[in-house]
Amino acid sequence: MVIETDILNFWDWLAVGSDERAPALLQFVVTIVVLALVGLLFGFLIAAVRHGPIAAGDLVYRVLRRAAGELFRISPRRVWALARLSVKESLRKSVLASLIVFGVLLVFAPWFLGSESREPVKLYLSFVMTASMYLTLLIALLLSTFSLPADIKSKTIYTVVTKPVGAHEIVLGRILGFTIIGTVLLAIMGAGGYVFVIRSLRHTHTIAVADLAEAKASGVQRGLSSRDMGHRHEATVDKDGHVDVQSAIGHWHDVAGEPENGAYVTSSPADMYRARVPIYGKLRFKDRNGADKDRGVSVGNEWGYRSYIDGGTSATAIWTFDSLREEEYPDGLPLELSLRVFRTYKGDIERGILGSLVVVNPTTGLRSDIRTFRAQDFHIDEQTIPRKLPRRRQDMKPGLSEELDLFDDLVDEEGRVEIWIQCVEPAQYFGAAQADCYIRTRDGLFWVNYWKGLSGTWAQMVLIVCFGVMFSTFLSGPVALFATAGCFILGTFRDFIIKVATGGIEGGGPVEAMIRTFTQQNMTSELEAGGANALIETLDSPLKALMHGLVYVLPDFSSYSQVNWVAYGYNIPWNLIAQNLMAGFAYLLGAFIAGYLFLRSGEVAK
Amino acid sequence: MASDVVIETRALSKTYRDFWGRAKVRALKSLDLEIRQGEIFGLLGPNGSGKTTTMKLLLGLLFPTSGQALVFGRDASDVRKNERIGYLPEETYLYKFLTAEETLDFYGRLFDIPPQTRKERIDQLISEVGLDWARRRQLKEYSKGMTRRIGIAQARINDPDLILLDELNSGLDPIGVREMKDMILALKEAGKTVVMCSHLLADVQDICDRIAILHQGELKELGRVESLLRVADETQFRVRGMSQACQDEVQAVIARHEHELVEMTNPVSTLEDLFLSIVRDSEARPGRRARVETAEQSESVN
Repeated sequence: MVIETDILNFWDWLAVGSDERAPALLQFVVTIVVLALVGLLFGFLIAAVRHGPIAAGDLVYRVLRRAAGELFRISPRRVWALARLSVKESLRKSVLASLIVFGVLLVFAPWFLGSESREPVKLYLSFVMTASMYLTLLIALLLSTFSLPADIKSKTIYTVVTKPVGAHEIVLGRILGFTIIGTVLLAIMGAGGYVFVIRSLRHTHTIAVADLAEAKASGVQRGLSSRDMGHRHEATVDKDGHVDVQSAIGHWHDVAGEPENGAYVTSSPADMYRARVPIYGKLRFKDRNGADKDRGVSVGNEWGYRSYIDGGTSATAIWTFDSLREEEYPDGLPLELSLRVFRTYKGDIERGILGSLVVVNPTTGLRSDIRTFRAQDFHIDEQTIPRKLPRRRQDMKPGLSEELDLFDDLVDEEGRVEIWIQCVEPAQYFGAAQADCYIRTRDGLFWVNYWKGLSGTWAQMVLIVCFGVMFSTFLSGPVALFATAGCFILGTFRDFIIKVATGGIEGGGPVEAMIRTFTQQNMTSELEAGGANALIETLDSPLKALMHGLVYVLPDFSSYSQVNWVAYGYNIPWNLIAQNLMAGFAYLLGAFIAGYLFLRSGEVAK
Repeated sequence: MASDVVIETRALSKTYRDFWGRAKVRALKSLDLEIRQGEIFGLLGPNGSGKTTTMKLLLGLLFPTSGQALVFGRDASDVRKNERIGYLPEETYLYKFLTAEETLDFYGRLFDIPPQTRKERIDQLISEVGLDWARRRQLKEYSKGMTRRIGIAQARINDPDLILLDELNSGLDPIGVREMKDMILALKEAGKTVVMCSHLLADVQDICDRIAILHQGELKELGRVESLLRVADETQFRVRGMSQACQDEVQAVIARHEHELVEMTNPVSTLEDLFLSIVRDSEARPGRRARVETAEQSESVN
């Protein structure tokens, strides 16, 4: 649910790559070289039409020579002056009004968010982080695309470029200035949003003493708390008067002290905001006949991150965890499952699909007894594997079993253990990927994770600023705005566009899709063979190639959005943040150079 | 190239094109110029004659269609030449949301001037252009004349060796015009080179050493102002307190030598001189009517 692709470690991502993905560095170099060649060719052709091929060649050579000399001559004082100018310009344009919009959103948010959600933390965090993201990106888009064209239109740029300022310094100064403004806005919205979530979801319950019923044998009293924020907690009071409040919708409460006015009052929620730090194992599969496989079956998306195991068969997903040490897990293994559920018939939708879990020693093959659980889509199932596990040998009489110790019997000498998971219900499927079963050792700090999540939005904002400034060096404000917004949309739906371009999606390319829309033809039906169809394909192929080429060079904006990590309560690995920042820096470099060339090659006075 | 040549253009031409690259207007045709250090050079011509185009080509704001423009021996597109240049555009294109101080500080930073020097220079320039009282006001609150003054200050922030002034006196009142002329002459004294373009000929005549007259993109005349304007076959005297008898005698002498007396009259002061003396008198004696002696008043007294 959070992770839909493998996360490589930084070095592998940068320089080694994986089966599906080329190393980022190689991708960057190829992209830069291809873009540079295309740009030079394009520039040469335009110059050749105007001045003839020899003069054009000379012009291109001079541009390159000049660029090589100028790009490295950067004065921090000049860049900072231009950045300050952008900041002042933004402030005088009342950019802070966006904070009022954000404030109004927060004031009215409880109206439509409600307080009775089953997952309020997820809901509130998603809302706050998404609102901050779109507002920041919108402001970044407007500021970065309109500023330079406005300077050119009002001719104030004349007084700037007639100073010893390089075009690269103008581009860099603007990027820096708008980044500063965006950062400040995001920080204020982030802090406001954080306070809003914490305050909105803070609540207490009361447990009325009169409502507690005493169990006869144990003398323990049981009851339900009051209904606050749309939920109740089960509570027990033991003989000593110690109150234990059970966990509900992802949190629990403490109760300290004696009842007042006939009721216990709980503390504020505990363990509500999480940043789980999972330890992942290696995943392999067994097919329905019990044979080893690298992947399970596909239920539609053949190249998807997850593959599936069929229920009621021997199909098994097996996670192998290693380097487990007894002293780190004295009370057992805190396991969490977030399996995807694929139903071929609806069944009782409220009940999860039944699954089984077995702990296996990978060296000796010794197995614990089956533990069952019910899996629901988008739900995290906490399964603590206790230190003592029952095992019934076949030669034992019914009702008898022996006891296995997790570390003595099931974890081998190298600290490895296997978790075997099967889907019990026939004709239903479990989707499994490496990230779907993990050991949750400890939690990271939630507020740190929250800001880590906003760092993704920050990187997106910087990218928008880079693209906006780069486009505004040669396009008018509104056109630059559309171009930048187009890049954002294409980058956000990158996977989909790649599928359209490579024929991975039914319905064909843009022209075919348009014909189907107008003629109301089904996406999956074959078009009639003949000249018209051939023409459509001919028109579509260059468009598809263009789409593919475009999304190849554009950033994958969706990968920067880390809202889900925070909302679902997973600690965002620093590794992922480093990758995003590195990729962002690469685009900054590209936008900087392209912006310089566009601004330097065009006449400022027109 | 001689070392004191500040600006040199070689067959400099500019053709404006439309979106499709088709030639639309030939704004400048093969201009050859040399401007030397310490000169005040005027570019004259009617609207659309190519003055501003020439200036933009010299600044690198436009690229020549053919030919070359060199400033301090560097190609006009080389930004490093700008370190020694000050430029005041036709309209004062400044950031309206900045104050006078912020404006000068911004441009000072663009020249990479260290903070202390920048601060001193800003104080000095604001004082010189007479805007001490408005230094912390945003430029959007400035009148056109005030904006022009701060524009002049920004053009001098780097103590430039070459100052390019486009439509010098646009938006200035007569006092401002006079101050501007004084400033230009002071710059010349300090060994600076000034290139200005204008279509107000009287201004140019007063201060320029040399002028170039452009028309329809072509150079029509180039030379020193006094030699261009001198009327070789006429002679002018200016005598103070000449009696009627003396005047008659002079006329008789001219007639005896069979020369034609074109004009013998009392000279007329310029309106600029009259205006300035009224303003000065008014400043000296506020609240009173100006006491400036004119020919009419002298006659009535007599």
